[in-house]
Amino acid sequence: MEIAEQIESTVRDVGARVRPQLDDAKRRLTSLNGSVTGYIKENPGRCLIGAIAIGFLVGKIARRA
Amino acid sequence: MRRMVVMETPEQTSSNGQRNQASWVNDSAHKAWDRTRGAVSELKRAAAIEERVNRNPYGSLAAALGIGYVLGGGIFTPLTSKIVALGLRIGIRLAVLPMLKDEISVLADALGGEGQVGEAGKGRRGSKAAKPSDER
Repeated sequence: MEIAEQIESTVRDVGARVRPQLDDAKRRLTSLNGSVTGYIKENPGRCLIGAIAIGFLVGKIARRA
Repeated sequence: MRRMVVMETPEQTSSNGQRNQASWVNDSAHKAWDRTRGAVSELKRAAAIEERVNRNPYGSLAAALGIGYVLGGGIFTPLTSKIVALGLRIGIRLAVLPMLKDEISVLADALGGEGQVGEAGKGRRGSKAAKPSDER
């Protein structure tokens, strides 16, 4: 019983310590996603041409390898 | 009256020719650039690219990457086969496992039902069998 309580309290402590970091990471990822999608929507041509160029390069490298 | 004859030296002639050539190159480059821009804007309008990008930005980027990959000649390569194999494996897992799970659960239900029926039957039989002994 004591061991189970200890494990429970440890898990609770770790959760309390990690939760703010997880929330912060989630917030950061959400804002990054928003800024990336915003940039893509603002400059669709540039992004698509860049993606095609990157794909072309990867295809060339894959063909050579 | 004295006539003034302006004659070009060979150096002047060559510099004029170079200037003409440069202006021709400049003009043709401008024309090519205008044509390219027109073609790109026409393509954008035809394919409604902006709308698609607004609707699904990551999907559009992935499609552009795929188009570039195919244009780069990467379609018949070991990397493509690896990617396809991985995709198939994931797809099969995602598609077949739920079906298998459903089938197994249905089978388990059926077996459980049979077991219950069997137990009930046994019980009935037992009760029937018990009656004669009681009668005795």
